[in-house]
Amino acid sequence: MSRATLVGATIVVIILVFAVFGPLFTSHDPYASDFLRGISPEHLPVGPNGTFVLGTDRLFRDQLARLAVGARVSLLIGLLATTIATVIGGAVGILAGWFEGRMLDVVLMRVVDVGLAFPFLLIVMALGAALDRTTPITIFITLGLTGWLGTARLVRAKVLLLRHLDFITAARALGQTTPRILLRHVLPNVAGPLIVVSTVSVAQMILAESVLSYLGAGIAPPTPTWGHMLFEGQDYFATAPWISLAPGIAIMLSVLGFNLLGEGLRDALDPQKK
Amino acid sequence: MIQKVLGRLAWAAFVVWATVSLTFLVNHALPSDPARMVAGAQARPEDVERIRRDLGLDQSMYVQYARFFRRLIHVGPHDVRADDSAHATCAAVLGPVHVDLGRSYQLRRPVVALIAERFPRTLLLAVAASLLQAVFGTLAGTIAASNKRTLKDHLAVLASLLGVSAPTFIIGLFLQWLVAYRLRLLPLDGYGETLAEHLACLVLPALTLGIFGAAYYTRLVRDEMIWQLGQDYVRTARAKGLSHLAVVVRHALRNAVAPIVTVLGLELGTLIGGAIVTEAIFRWPGLGSLSVNAMLDRDGPVIMGSVIVTSVSVVVMTIAVDLAYGFLDPRTLR
Amino acid sequence: MTVASFGDIRAIDPANVGDGLVPQILEALFAGLIDYDHDGNIVADLAERWITGDDGKTFRFFLRHGVRFHDGEELSADDVKRSVERALHPSAPNPYASYFEPIVGYEDFVAGKANELEGVQAEGRYVVTFRLKNPDVTFLPTLAMPVLRPVCKSAGHRYTDTWQPCGAGPFKLEPKGWEHGRQVTVVRHDGYFKPGLPYLDGVRFLFRVNQTSQRFRFTSGELDILADFLAPDLVKFQADPRWKPFGAYHAEHQIAGEAMNTEMAPFDNVEVRRAVAAAIDREQIRLVRAANLRVADQPVPPDVAGHDDSLRGQRFDYEAALEHMKRAGYPYDPVTKTGGYPHVIPYVVYKQGLAEFTAQVLAQQLARIGLRIEIRVVNYPTFLAIRGRRGQSAFGPGSWTQDYPEAQSFLEPLFHSKSIAGEDSNNWSYYKNLRLDALLDQAKRELDDRKRKAIYKEAQQIIIDDAPWAFTYYYRGYTQWQPYVRNYRVHPMWTHEMSRVWLDRAERPGGAR
Repeated sequence: MSRATLVGATIVVIILVFAVFGPLFTSHDPYASDFLRGISPEHLPVGPNGTFVLGTDRLFRDQLARLAVGARVSLLIGLLATTIATVIGGAVGILAGWFEGRMLDVVLMRVVDVGLAFPFLLIVMALGAALDRTTPITIFITLGLTGWLGTARLVRAKVLLLRHLDFITAARALGQTTPRILLRHVLPNVAGPLIVVSTVSVAQMILAESVLSYLGAGIAPPTPTWGHMLFEGQDYFATAPWISLAPGIAIMLSVLGFNLLGEGLRDALDPQKK
Repeated sequence: MIQKVLGRLAWAAFVVWATVSLTFLVNHALPSDPARMVAGAQARPEDVERIRRDLGLDQSMYVQYARFFRRLIHVGPHDVRADDSAHATCAAVLGPVHVDLGRSYQLRRPVVALIAERFPRTLLLAVAASLLQAVFGTLAGTIAASNKRTLKDHLAVLASLLGVSAPTFIIGLFLQWLVAYRLRLLPLDGYGETLAEHLACLVLPALTLGIFGAAYYTRLVRDEMIWQLGQDYVRTARAKGLSHLAVVVRHALRNAVAPIVTVLGLELGTLIGGAIVTEAIFRWPGLGSLSVNAMLDRDGPVIMGSVIVTSVSVVVMTIAVDLAYGFLDPRTLR
Repeated sequence: MTVASFGDIRAIDPANVGDGLVPQILEALFAGLIDYDHDGNIVADLAERWITGDDGKTFRFFLRHGVRFHDGEELSADDVKRSVERALHPSAPNPYASYFEPIVGYEDFVAGKANELEGVQAEGRYVVTFRLKNPDVTFLPTLAMPVLRPVCKSAGHRYTDTWQPCGAGPFKLEPKGWEHGRQVTVVRHDGYFKPGLPYLDGVRFLFRVNQTSQRFRFTSGELDILADFLAPDLVKFQADPRWKPFGAYHAEHQIAGEAMNTEMAPFDNVEVRRAVAAAIDREQIRLVRAANLRVADQPVPPDVAGHDDSLRGQRFDYEAALEHMKRAGYPYDPVTKTGGYPHVIPYVVYKQGLAEFTAQVLAQQLARIGLRIEIRVVNYPTFLAIRGRRGQSAFGPGSWTQDYPEAQSFLEPLFHSKSIAGEDSNNWSYYKNLRLDALLDQAKRELDDRKRKAIYKEAQQIIIDDAPWAFTYYYRGYTQWQPYVRNYRVHPMWTHEMSRVWLDRAERPGGAR
């Protein structure tokens, strides 16, 4: 294991511990506004201090407690939505690329075209109207099902290149079955771009959750999510930057951790290194 | 060959039709009322009802759907005059062929005029941002890959991770505060009147979009290049005694181009749909704010118009990327 | 002179006043028979004077002689009649048309049965008569709104979308002066009927400028008036002694509260509604945006005729709230935290408003009397549709802004039973009280200000006690101007009224050091 992977693993463990045991780090209630100590004389949120380690948010609630509760929701959504998007995108991309020009490819790619052209916001608005209440499950399904389109395109492009490379031609000549070639030879070689896309995607999904709530399909307040907290601090950015910075840094650290870990994972699986 | 081209065009038309119809359907299924959005939150029911009738929203969905497609492309007089009420919302495209997307409920202007006004601006921003992304991303990614596991590489990776996880509004507000407000180098926002002003106003929004794009792109190019540099043909080329630079540029980069172009095409297609947050921060009058406001105001004709623009641009970019594979990679030519 | 706004406008036409920002532009471009002055009183404008006759059912307006439109034509009584009919014709997208329903012949005209509006007649060149079906105190206040203001002959008899705005106001629109979604430029109308006015050469209204950009522009002197603030920025301006003298609050004419559906459980029980009204600590809710909110205790805001300080209004009283819960049959024990209403109540709110935040404080406060609410966020169009549809929403935020500064502008749409509708209801509580209906109808016909005030007092007391809403706050805007802007006063109706403002260029921008 390389040093980078080790750093990545450490970050991920810390974040997971924070998400699971986070509420134990603070005695404050993440849902209770503190109108006595959490508010400045100008009626603005207070900055980090002895009582509120990360300051208070715009409703004078403890940021640390909210960050901890938000970690569960946001990480769950970010990771699961990314997984769904990556699996679907990877599978569709590999199949379309391998069967390039045949009916399967044409149909799959036209579905991707329609999906990319269709206004995302409208789907979300429709979902928000159709669902009586939104839960993390409906959200990561929404995000997962809309997030795979670009990945499919990218993977397909990569597979088109691979098909003509010597080791694939060799495998075919040896009479290996298509599923076996796809799994043993194609998949490991598209893992690189997949990991890149999915690390970017984790951050995007966490942020996208808060966009959903603008349209009535996100997690309802007062439940905190990192994306929500980040955007709630937008108006206060010049005056009370900690409101946005705390979740912003949390998102960046998670992305860094998962990315380094993913990189290590990819290197470990790298077909060329064996 | 001709058959292939025709097939491609037929599919393109199908994609546009399917997207438009789906949008129409979903838009109609929403429980909220466009007439209420026109009349305002405090309007009385009788006034809302009169406006609903005036907009033709009291008719059934099928009638409205049929009317939309009947109007969309039709034949009419050669020149559209402003006082001709039957063709008041038309644009003559090709002699007697007219395109009519109806009139915006909210802005009460022809949708073709709205789109004609905003499309060039959005295109300008999209192309500028994509160029920044392509140039910086490819450069940084290539340098990082050919110096793997050195300080340069680590810096590039770290910077790109920061770039992809920083929300657009933070980048945008920071650039605006620093460059436009403190240093006064560029205008705060807007679009300007002259070409020079357009370009000055373009820099910050393009940079805001470009930073995210370049960060994403750096990672992608780096990864692809590392993979390519590990391939047999690179070893062969090295063995032949080619210089490092020649190997990287002439062989690896050339081969890595297909996935890279794919992503660029995707990004460009999306950006033509509009960059919502960036447009709002910098008051860039593009399609993004138009279509988002239309969705939030339930302004049907504008929603349909902007979906047509995005679906056509997605289709065009797909075809362009497919063509690019052919040109760039000798093996797909066959 | 430059002013900016966060929002946008969709039309510049008295017959289509759909946006909150457009009245200030209409006020600059169009003069009316009557107008509001800076103290909110109705005063003569294009009309020199008017006489009321027939027990308040006819109004004769005597026009000033020699008033010039922007195109140089003289205003005549026929122009007034034509403009009224243009604005009220069913083909105009006028969201305020029905406000003029008291005029004789309105129904026939709107239904297309009559070619002219019978109740509005020109008598010669300089006299216009309006006839009403019944005496109506809302007539003059609504006539002073921009809706029926005279427009040039170029506007014709019917509304069109392509008309270049042209009126008799102090400023005129520059040719191509409206760049959609970006700005409106108006310049001095040299033929304005008030001699010497306006002082300014012109005004530029910018749109869609976000609050941060506005602040940047204002402090660098590019903007002369700042009226949209992020909450923390406003706090800073108010605390800065250099800026303090050049800022003022707007009139308070918006009420916000929690609307409870009196047809749905548990709010069909008046004791539950009273418990909510007593459980809300309005001081805490105010702190969500302290610089703009004031604690409310009654539906009619302070700067609106009919507001009454002698009323016993709704106020925070925790013990009383628990008592009301007990009487409702849902006793709650705050020590053991048991009891209360057994079901979770959905609270429907929309994103991007203050209500999203006040709702979270409300939830904390109601939990203390045993009412658990679950906040459901929907987008704004859905919110409007749900709350106006009968039987859809039990609980949610309500807010109402005056159309004109009279209690009637609040009480009738929100609480009169005739405002209940199956769709698009404005009475979101579906509240019905025959005594209140009778009082409001009586007030509408009562022309004596003092007697009307007494009726409103009784009406408000009924609403306060029956609590179809729990009133929470009055919203008040704030405007900051540069030290060199002279003679500027925030107008209670139009916010910016520029005809007497001038700039003293010897003074430097306030931000310059």
